[in-house]
Amino acid sequence: MGSLRTGVLVPTAASLSARGHEAWVGEHGFYDQAQSPGGRARDAVRLNSNENPLGPSAAALRAIEQAFAYSGRYPMNAKPSMVDFRALVARRNGLKTENVSLGAGSGEILDNAVRAFTSASRGLVAAAPTFESPARVARRLGSPVTEIPVDGAGRLDLEKMIAASTGAGLVFVCNPNNPTATVHPAAAITDLVVRIRKASPDTVILIDEAYHDYVVDPSYATAIPLVSQHQNVIIARTLSKLHGMAGMRLGYAVGDAKVIGRMTPWTMPYNANAPVVAAAVASIQDDAQIARERARNTEALNYTTEFFRSAGMKTTDSQANFIWVDLNRPAGEFREKCQQQGMLVGRPFPPLNKTHCRISIGTMEEMRRAVTVFRSALGLTTTSAAAKGR
Amino acid sequence: MMALTRRTFVTTVGAGAAAAVGGRILSGGRVIGPWTRSFEEALYAAQAGRPLLLHNNENPLGPGDKAIAAMRAKLTEKGIPTARYSSIEPQLTAALAAKYNCKTANIMVGCGSTQILRTATFAFTSPSRPLVAGTPTYEECSDVARLIGAPVRAVPGTSTLHHDLDAMAAAAKGAGLIFYDNPSNPAATLHPATASIAFIEKVMRESPDTTILVDEAYHDYVTDPGHKTLIPVALDNPRVVVARTFSKAYGMAGLRIGYAVGHADTIRKMNDLAYGGALNVLGLAAAIESIQDEARLQTEARRNTEARQFTIDWFKKAGCTPTDSQCNFIFVNVNRPAREFRDACRKHDVIVGRDFPPFEKTHARISIGTLDEMKRAVQVFGQVLAVKSSAAA
Repeated sequence: MGSLRTGVLVPTAASLSARGHEAWVGEHGFYDQAQSPGGRARDAVRLNSNENPLGPSAAALRAIEQAFAYSGRYPMNAKPSMVDFRALVARRNGLKTENVSLGAGSGEILDNAVRAFTSASRGLVAAAPTFESPARVARRLGSPVTEIPVDGAGRLDLEKMIAASTGAGLVFVCNPNNPTATVHPAAAITDLVVRIRKASPDTVILIDEAYHDYVVDPSYATAIPLVSQHQNVIIARTLSKLHGMAGMRLGYAVGDAKVIGRMTPWTMPYNANAPVVAAAVASIQDDAQIARERARNTEALNYTTEFFRSAGMKTTDSQANFIWVDLNRPAGEFREKCQQQGMLVGRPFPPLNKTHCRISIGTMEEMRRAVTVFRSALGLTTTSAAAKGR
Repeated sequence: MMALTRRTFVTTVGAGAAAAVGGRILSGGRVIGPWTRSFEEALYAAQAGRPLLLHNNENPLGPGDKAIAAMRAKLTEKGIPTARYSSIEPQLTAALAAKYNCKTANIMVGCGSTQILRTATFAFTSPSRPLVAGTPTYEECSDVARLIGAPVRAVPGTSTLHHDLDAMAAAAKGAGLIFYDNPSNPAATLHPATASIAFIEKVMRESPDTTILVDEAYHDYVTDPGHKTLIPVALDNPRVVVARTFSKAYGMAGLRIGYAVGHADTIRKMNDLAYGGALNVLGLAAAIESIQDEARLQTEARRNTEARQFTIDWFKKAGCTPTDSQCNFIFVNVNRPAREFRDACRKHDVIVGRDFPPFEKTHARISIGTLDEMKRAVQVFGQVLAVKSSAAA
């Protein structure tokens, strides 16, 4: 595999505008990459949107090309069809097709959950910082938002989130959390679900497991098994991360049939295009490829983490394809310096934007180049940093 | 079925083997191409052994070769666009703005025109601002209106199954939105531009706060010389917005791209409410290429017109009356419940359209496939209709 890894690794962002679960925030939120100076993003290394730098697997690419023959058919008439993919997800989790619904990216699922389950009288509970989309949509709809700061280690404060959930419409639990990269063990998530269900049975708990496939912490496990014992629990997954399909737009939600049924009317019919459905069918059952891809990420992640730690900067215990690092300086300054050298890093995540930066993990080759840029941007002398870095 | 599965498998292996000698090696050991067969061959292989799908108003030939080539190019492009959130959506918006001689602020793109229809309903209806729609019609807007508690005023069509524009204008007083599909679905009928413009003027006079959503999904299939798009009207009038789709004549129903054209203020209101991450890079690439390919669009329209005329003529000879179709489907009085007709056709591997109340007791909607497919289909229709009449006798 190493010898074949000779392809071009420098992305050309055909457009500077960004869309999707991750980057939609960039476009419609507070930070607009399109406004970045000099248009240097064109040849930049994108360590800013938690994408997979290698894209879909070879098997997924073949499936995509075969699905071109169904381009003219609505996704329910393609082979495989939307329902084939839902059935596959259900089968792999011991559930029924009615427990699974699809989104044009998991972003659509998050959006629809906020629309379906929050209101002016039933608000959203979310961490701060966390993936911003649910809170942004809730505010736009006039649903109150309660934000619970993460703890000193960048972990979701589950106790405070549980306490705040009573009477809420929706609780958003991002595990691993974006941007802090930390994960909670399966037992802690089960405890959260059981206690919220008991104290506030009408509250829907949305657990975003976008980074599930990257987790190596053995105490973690998916929350999907909870849906057969608990109503009002939804797990969101995406094909945008480890499966490398951020540009193809597919996510899925797993939950009790009743809660999925309540979300369905808010979902766009035929939201999953035929090629991505075919690619997803090939990709999610390719366990060997998933393990290889996870190992590749872990190696580059450890290398990058080691650099920052040896430079005296704290990173959280990342269980994702990005790191959350305390630079002891405003992230904006660091971001600009990196960008001037063709290296794009994560957007600001208030309230921690004055100290912390999120950096996505590219290939090992990209991270070696990135570390050189980071050294320079942080004003570390090459020799001492290099000596420390090894 | 078995044959198709086996053939697909052989193709997969073949593509892999070819790639090893002539394919392109991507990063991470991914290998892709070269493409081992034409799109047309792939299309026929994909359809072999399947029932004839005449139920969803799809284009049986899919996108043009140039669109397919654009999608294939995206799979091997430097930077791996399939893996990136960074989108070429602004390129499509710009291409559409150039096509309609307007600004990008006049264009909204969506995950099929479905997203456009849903977003307009979210934007312009509410519990106090009803939706007006003809009946029967495409139900997307009505479904969303009911979801958010907006009343739906359903206005029956005329005896020729045209939308009753006077009645719709009358029903519009105090309404938030009129859904005006022209040509209409499922009735397939059209109002000429003069009638549409008079309708809009009347609504503007009598209910100036009502927005009119004109769904021109089937625009490219219209042959009536009185037809004109209302896009120029929409560009000038903040109360009119036009929805279009790549799912029909452009053959991209599986790729999920649609758009709206309208006044910048109207488009902004809709964009503010829409989920913004729904468009996939392959569909976008195909759409950008397709709108440059005017020749393919004309070939497709001619192909449909011929197959449609053949089908209409056959039904007329069989004593069944279709409406004056301007679309890639017909709506025909089969003198029996649509369900009965549909179930009988299905037994012969031909799938026709669902029920469209209140016409489900008499009318069937049948999509137009290729001429060869329609020649096969009418044989089935003949058997099904004859079976009924002999049984009745």
